[in-house]
Amino acid sequence: MTVRKRRKITFVTASVYALLLLAAASWLSIFSFEKASLTTLFSEQNLLHTGKFFKGLFGIGEENPAFFSKESWENAFNLTVETLIMSVMATGFATIAAFLTVVPAARNVADGSLTLAKKWHGWISFGIIRGGYIFSRAVPELVWAMIIIFIFKPGILPGAIALALHNFGILGKLCAEVIEDLETRPVRNLASSGASRVQILLYGVLPAALPRFLTYILYRWEVIMRTTIVVGFVGAGGLGQQFKLSMSFFHYTDITLLLVFYLILVFAADFISEKARYLIK
Amino acid sequence: MDKSWFTFDLHKRKILTMILLLVFILSLFSVEWNSNLIHSGGFETAKQIFVALFQPDLSTDILLLAVEASWSTLSYATAGMSLAIFIAFIFGIPASGVLAENAKTKRIMRSFFRGHLGFMRAIHELVWAWLFVASIGLSPFAAIFALAIPYGGILGRIFADMLEDVPREPILALEAAGASRLQTLWYGYLPMVRTSIISYAMYRFECAVRSSAIMSFVGIGGLGYQIHLSLDDLHYNEVWTFVFFLIFLVIIIDAWSNQLRKRLVR
Repeated sequence: MTVRKRRKITFVTASVYALLLLAAASWLSIFSFEKASLTTLFSEQNLLHTGKFFKGLFGIGEENPAFFSKESWENAFNLTVETLIMSVMATGFATIAAFLTVVPAARNVADGSLTLAKKWHGWISFGIIRGGYIFSRAVPELVWAMIIIFIFKPGILPGAIALALHNFGILGKLCAEVIEDLETRPVRNLASSGASRVQILLYGVLPAALPRFLTYILYRWEVIMRTTIVVGFVGAGGLGQQFKLSMSFFHYTDITLLLVFYLILVFAADFISEKARYLIK
Repeated sequence: MDKSWFTFDLHKRKILTMILLLVFILSLFSVEWNSNLIHSGGFETAKQIFVALFQPDLSTDILLLAVEASWSTLSYATAGMSLAIFIAFIFGIPASGVLAENAKTKRIMRSFFRGHLGFMRAIHELVWAWLFVASIGLSPFAAIFALAIPYGGILGRIFADMLEDVPREPILALEAAGASRLQTLWYGYLPMVRTSIISYAMYRFECAVRSSAIMSFVGIGGLGYQIHLSLDDLHYNEVWTFVFFLIFLVIIIDAWSNQLRKRLVR
């Protein structure tokens, strides 16, 4: 007991020291090797530049800022709807893909303790699917989008697919953990009375795990909503694409307008998902 | 009586599931499903990218470049996280309202600081990065600040929630012993949330590495920048090398934080 306690403390303290060391090394390398200095950051020229940029954002001194043109508002609104659709599609794709793979990805299914049927390929499919989850979630959405855009034409579909690819790994992992924490008796009962894999999923796993699945799906939807703008940067449609274009054309007031719509969308998504989660609790 | 309530509860869930399904199906109608969605050479490119996945470029030059890029990604993430934790403390403690003397100041402080935290985390880190690059130019600080602000917002909010959920009894005991507000914070609240805040910060650290990799999209060095460059040159096997480095980095940090969390919770 004492040995175990001592070991616990050493690992934790060692980690804390390692983290502190890592932080120190990072700052050091940023200051010394990359020659980043705070003095040049706050130089006269930079301040002027920053001032100009912020004035541009608020449309000071601009002839026709975007907030006064009906066209810009309509455009921003349409893009907002597009972004919303993209996020819903992405969540849907990710959910479908995760649901199709989640059962063999649960540890208690792989070792046969949940379904009372140990199959020779249990651990193989577990390994492959879990590996796929890790792979798909370790690659950021933006990188997926950059790759996908080589295959699909710009639009909301590639954006949705890129977002779905990243979130598939996350949702899959979260849902597999839900199944691992399930009460095993109802499912075993089904399995021992001869239910097939699909039947086990439909009548044993889903009813018990659905509330938590829904919670995770809604939570990921919130995150996806926030990330839609990012995949748009590489040409995957929605607010992000317009944001990038406006940035390139130095239409700073358009950016402000887009950011306002984006913020409304994000807050609305947070609100809706919070209310919906409260409802199913 | 109990049973009727139960069925109603199930109904709510079913209704929500139905609504979500319906919304998803409706969203599918917004895309015109025809062959026009894919570039003319799209399938060919997809095949090339897929084949390249199994033959990543492992020449020394690329590997060295990847190691260097991994370090700058990691160092931006770490520096950004250390700033984010600082922000989380500064905003999170007042946002929890534990320092407030009476109910009214508590309410004002809570809404003020929570509003700030909400704003910070509502905007994605890449958008912050873009705004920073546009205003202060291409500097590592643009990446670090852009990471620190949204992560500070998330951490600060979670931190405030944790502080609010601290059980009252130990705090009351401290107060009865004559501790000041700051002393209750230092000896009561902070020790009680320490393990959970460390474990959450570790989880966020993993996300920060991923985010810091994509910071490069706006022109700040790192793994994402290399991925971007290789993609532009159509060198798909180099792309996968960098992606594998990124995955490796994320997995190591994930494993580390899992171990740490397991031991902290125990």
